[in-house]
Amino acid sequence: MSEPVDVVLVDDHLMFRAGVRASLDDRVRVVGEASSVDEAIRVVRELRPPVVLLDVHLPGGDGGGGAEVITACTDLLGETRFLALSVSDAADDVVAVIRAGARGYVTKAITGADLAAAVQRVAGGDAVFSPLLAGFVLDAFGAAAGDIATGDDELDRLSAREREVMRLIARGYSYREVASELFISIKTVETHVSAVLRKLQLSSRHELTRWAAARRLI
Amino acid sequence: MTSPEPARDDTTGPATPVPSATSGAPSRPPLRRPTTGRRIGGVAAGLAAHLELSVRVVRVALVLLVGLGGVGIALYVFLWVTVPEGDPFAPDERPTHLSRLVRPAAGPADAVVVGYGLEVPRGPGAPDPTVGPPQVGRAGAAVRTLPVTDIAIALVLIAAAVVLLAVRNGAHLQSTWVVPTLILLAGTALAWSQLDAGQRGRWRSRAGGRTPVSVLRLVGGIVLAGAGVLLLVGQEMSPELLLQSMVAALAVLAGVALVLAPWWLRLVRELGAERTARARVSDRADIAAHLHDSVLQTLALIRSRADDPHEVARMARAQERELREWLYDDRPAPGTSLAAALRAVVAEIEDTRSGPGGEAVVIDAVLVGDREPDADTEALLQATREALVNAVVHGRPPLSLYCEVGPDLIEVFVRDRGDGFDLDAVPSDRFGVRESIIGRVRRRGGSASVESKDGNGTEVHLSIPVRAKEDHAVRAAPGQPWADATEPVKER
Repeated sequence: MSEPVDVVLVDDHLMFRAGVRASLDDRVRVVGEASSVDEAIRVVRELRPPVVLLDVHLPGGDGGGGAEVITACTDLLGETRFLALSVSDAADDVVAVIRAGARGYVTKAITGADLAAAVQRVAGGDAVFSPLLAGFVLDAFGAAAGDIATGDDELDRLSAREREVMRLIARGYSYREVASELFISIKTVETHVSAVLRKLQLSSRHELTRWAAARRLI
Repeated sequence: MTSPEPARDDTTGPATPVPSATSGAPSRPPLRRPTTGRRIGGVAAGLAAHLELSVRVVRVALVLLVGLGGVGIALYVFLWVTVPEGDPFAPDERPTHLSRLVRPAAGPADAVVVGYGLEVPRGPGAPDPTVGPPQVGRAGAAVRTLPVTDIAIALVLIAAAVVLLAVRNGAHLQSTWVVPTLILLAGTALAWSQLDAGQRGRWRSRAGGRTPVSVLRLVGGIVLAGAGVLLLVGQEMSPELLLQSMVAALAVLAGVALVLAPWWLRLVRELGAERTARARVSDRADIAAHLHDSVLQTLALIRSRADDPHEVARMARAQERELREWLYDDRPAPGTSLAAALRAVVAEIEDTRSGPGGEAVVIDAVLVGDREPDADTEALLQATREALVNAVVHGRPPLSLYCEVGPDLIEVFVRDRGDGFDLDAVPSDRFGVRESIIGRVRRRGGSASVESKDGNGTEVHLSIPVRAKEDHAVRAAPGQPWADATEPVKER
């Protein structure tokens, strides 16, 4: 068993923080907690944890919630990675934190074991996509088969392979299952997912910019 | 009689009606013009209720006051215009933001309908049969209030016509300003009665469409007032001069209207904006009320069923779903969204089914794209439902549902993590999977497959092609690929 991953838990609900703490297994160690935007920025800057579990809706700051925390810690993104954790299904919430720089998005209904696995994956530099987030991606980039990127440098469209990976994740497949279904290695799946995350963050597709504009991110 | 005293006292009433009525003397009903039991405008009835006197006393007092140089009329008109309409005996006049939710369906609303139903001119003595007999207790008062207003207006108009005819035929009235002034007053009164009718008109438009009576009132009032002004001003004038001044007056009016038009337009627009804002606020109040109510109920239920974890989980899930729907969904109109229909199916299964061990069912639904449902998607929906039920009963959680609406294909994946089963091993006489899932979709020109991964769950894949609307007629034509699939089914 490798070293546990240190995380800072940011959520404004004490009960939820306690619940997450209790559900995480020994792969993850909670080293700090915060309950507001300002407190989160302070704690993260002080502790510089490898992973921050970040609620999307947070009080304080300028009202930007989790996205504001990430924006304020942009210079730390090399060593600290953010995993968004939210009850919200709303597209603009998801897009806001992802475009601010979060490495993944999971809903709070996630089990402790899955969350611990997601934290480990984020700590390793990979992106974490829940089925819901994969669905958002397909929605935002257009599920149409004709809308396929031809080059790697295209940010506004998904490649055929990325689309396949996203669809399998949306269907509830784990990375391992995606890999065996597509006859590729898990590492390749992770590469595809990271590429999609990058497109999600940098693309200028109007669906994404519209959602981001709704949260005044750009 | 001592009646003039209280009536005169009350002339100060309208200046401070609300505070004195609600805070100062809580026992005294507020000054309102009731819609029932009124003779003309409900002023006397309202005054009587407010002053806690007999209606008859107030009426006699007002009539007596008319003798005092017309003070009674002035007072009556003043109160008619300034006192709002309403039931003085209503428990609380102030509307709370939740009162809309509990507005009684039958009580006061009915009374209002009866009230103005009888006010509308329908010819004297002929009550509208559609209104029907009002509540027995009120019948007497309702009959008495019948067409007084209309008769009064008709009398005024007839008198005016008679006077005008008399003047035309050479009869010389002593004081030449009296008749024009009366006509002018009648016109003004007619137009001002709009204020009164306007409120009821709003009620009416909610209950079913408004009559052109209000427009007639306004036009009639303007014509009468105009005629009165002309007669008053142009008594000594020659017809040419009168015509000229009329044209000039109209021109001035048109000019003023032109100048004021922007303001008026802005006013109308602001009013509209304010209305939408208010609608939004009340919508939010609706949501809040609904949510608080349902969440509180669920919490109470959960507490009382705390010993049944499955039931608690199910209720929590149902409440979560409802909250999500209210908070994050656009709530499309029913029948316009396939995604909404699919969500409804998921909700129904989560609410009514339970897993093999009795545990609550949770289906992770990811829906991409949307379209309007039609007969094809209905078949797909039913097949999806069967697949989900199948997964709940025979599979193991977590259950995933993925639906992707593409430009020319709708695909649905239903996945569970059970042991899986071999479709070929299922006897062909069992309709379950074969007919209710696969047959349904194939009949619509789609395809369906069931894939069981050993020990890794089962995935049902359904897909139907999206057809443009005009293609639907083709479906009945023979020789189409889906027509073939239909044949054996019909034979069963």
